[in-house]
Amino acid sequence: MNLDLSLDLISPVWRLTTPQLIVFFLALVLLMLDAFLPKAKHFTVLTAVSIGGYAAAIVALYWQHDKNESTFNGLFRADGLTVFLSLILLCAAILSVMTSASYVDRLEGRMPLGEFYVLLAFSILGALLVASAGNLIMIFVGIELSALATYVLAAFAKRRATALEGAMKYFLLGMFASALLVYGMTWVYGITGSTDLDQIAAHLQGVVTGSESRQPEILFALLLVVVGLGFKIAAVPFHMWTPDAYDGAPTPVTGFMSVAPKAAGFAAILRLLVQGLGPLRDDWYLLIAILATLTMIFGNLVAISQRNVKRMLAYSSIAHTGYMMVGLAAYNSASGEGRFVSLAGDTAQSDPGITSLLYYLFAYAFVNIGAFAVITWVQHRGRGMLLEDFAGLGQTNPLAAFAMTIFMVSLMGVPPLLGFYAKYYVIVAAINADLLWLAVAVVLASALSAYFYLRVVAVMYFSAPSRELRATSTPLLNAGIALMAVANVALGLFSNQVLDLADFWSGAMTVAQAVASR
Amino acid sequence: MGELGVEHFLSLSAALFIIGMMGVLIRRNILIIFMCVELMLTAANISLIAFGWQMHSLDGQVFVLFTIAIAAAEAAVGLAIILALSRRVHTVDVAEIHELRD
Repeated sequence: MNLDLSLDLISPVWRLTTPQLIVFFLALVLLMLDAFLPKAKHFTVLTAVSIGGYAAAIVALYWQHDKNESTFNGLFRADGLTVFLSLILLCAAILSVMTSASYVDRLEGRMPLGEFYVLLAFSILGALLVASAGNLIMIFVGIELSALATYVLAAFAKRRATALEGAMKYFLLGMFASALLVYGMTWVYGITGSTDLDQIAAHLQGVVTGSESRQPEILFALLLVVVGLGFKIAAVPFHMWTPDAYDGAPTPVTGFMSVAPKAAGFAAILRLLVQGLGPLRDDWYLLIAILATLTMIFGNLVAISQRNVKRMLAYSSIAHTGYMMVGLAAYNSASGEGRFVSLAGDTAQSDPGITSLLYYLFAYAFVNIGAFAVITWVQHRGRGMLLEDFAGLGQTNPLAAFAMTIFMVSLMGVPPLLGFYAKYYVIVAAINADLLWLAVAVVLASALSAYFYLRVVAVMYFSAPSRELRATSTPLLNAGIALMAVANVALGLFSNQVLDLADFWSGAMTVAQAVASR
Repeated sequence: MGELGVEHFLSLSAALFIIGMMGVLIRRNILIIFMCVELMLTAANISLIAFGWQMHSLDGQVFVLFTIAIAAAEAAVGLAIILALSRRVHTVDVAEIHELRD
């Protein structure tokens, strides 16, 4: 270890970590407010502070958009991937706060409201750390910080046995996955002799080009890592915890759980498989492609038989994991299809596969949290989450029904909504990478999904209302739903601009790789 | 008997890992499953130390410190969830906890 690097560890460049630090201090401030503020003011002040904190972190991200640096001796990176993933996570955090505030406040047998916001902040912080990780240790610590906070969030209604049961399954399988992941990381470290992602990639590049001997253990390590992360993103056949955990958790928390931990899992996959184990792409892409196909088909097939809308969306979220993995399988460092991106004096090519995955994650945050927000809205008004509870919503409350229609149709992937472009870019990336069969699988799986998404719409408009809605005022939730519905249309119409951003930042990541491999 | 080499530690670690994994997959008691997961994490720690020792690098040992800290935090969260659950349903057998079903 040379002197420069050691100095970097003792006096790091703190300004690179501003957004993450803001979220960290937000969590601490929330803890203090929870302890010292009078109970009556908790709802207003804590909600405002949370939203303000995440918004400030997004603003701080702006000063990082053209950075390509690392600090803390390579542990922390401020590159394109960090910026885009952080943007997704912080948007998801704001939307989750907006949709969950009133629901959690009225939840029976819950923990204090302040703890909810604190856990949310720590979960986001962990995910942000994974997004900016440059080292195996950082990936592991970040993903665990995020997961630990989410386990508690899943059990937030602590007097309800189903919530605890879901949380327990989530916890046990999550831990099991972490153990597999860390054992896989151990072998990666043992074979390559480093925990730094760039050095791992450099060593493996040497192995692939033949200057060093190839060890069969590396495939074993790769398998362990893929299985461990497969649990985290809920890919079939490692999805068993998903429906139960999603069903048991408070509804807005489910929306959060389907986006933030998934984004953290994909961040870990991007950092680990693409940046660290990228040279082994030819070994892992087929595995990912097969898992993606299984995940898409299985998720959509099982979702068809669900009467409970929350469970249906749980299986639909499994299916969407599959679509995202298609983007990952289309990663190909030598494809030459991408656009040239220049950053901080270095130029490299973006990768269409990674771009489509990033775009999909971004779109998914707005669509899925929105769908769960409408279920929350219905639950507020004294109905449950069975399909029958949505009957006649089109007559009793046209606006809510309209919003739900937008989210369902967007999840299904109909133009010109956000969800369509997400799927479109994934399919294009798969075709570019010569994975035509995978692109066909995406189309077939989407066709399958039309049935259960449209069934919700049909029930809302063509069934007679079963019961009266209770009058309840939820201004923040209404604003959140309106925001997401508008975003689905607007970001769909301006999808080129968003895609350009995703493309720029996926290119920025390749720049970082190119610099490192020199 | 020859000297202790890195392969001895790796074999020990692999054995512990497999015992832990089998335990998670076979046993029905939540607490035993939980202990088996801890065993798997410990197995990973042993191989991290062994690799670090073999390569004369400190990275592996630093990694172990973080893994131990995370395992401790996980025990706190996990036991809290298990405790709250066993108070509600009066059992720690996963086969008997099945309110959530398709």
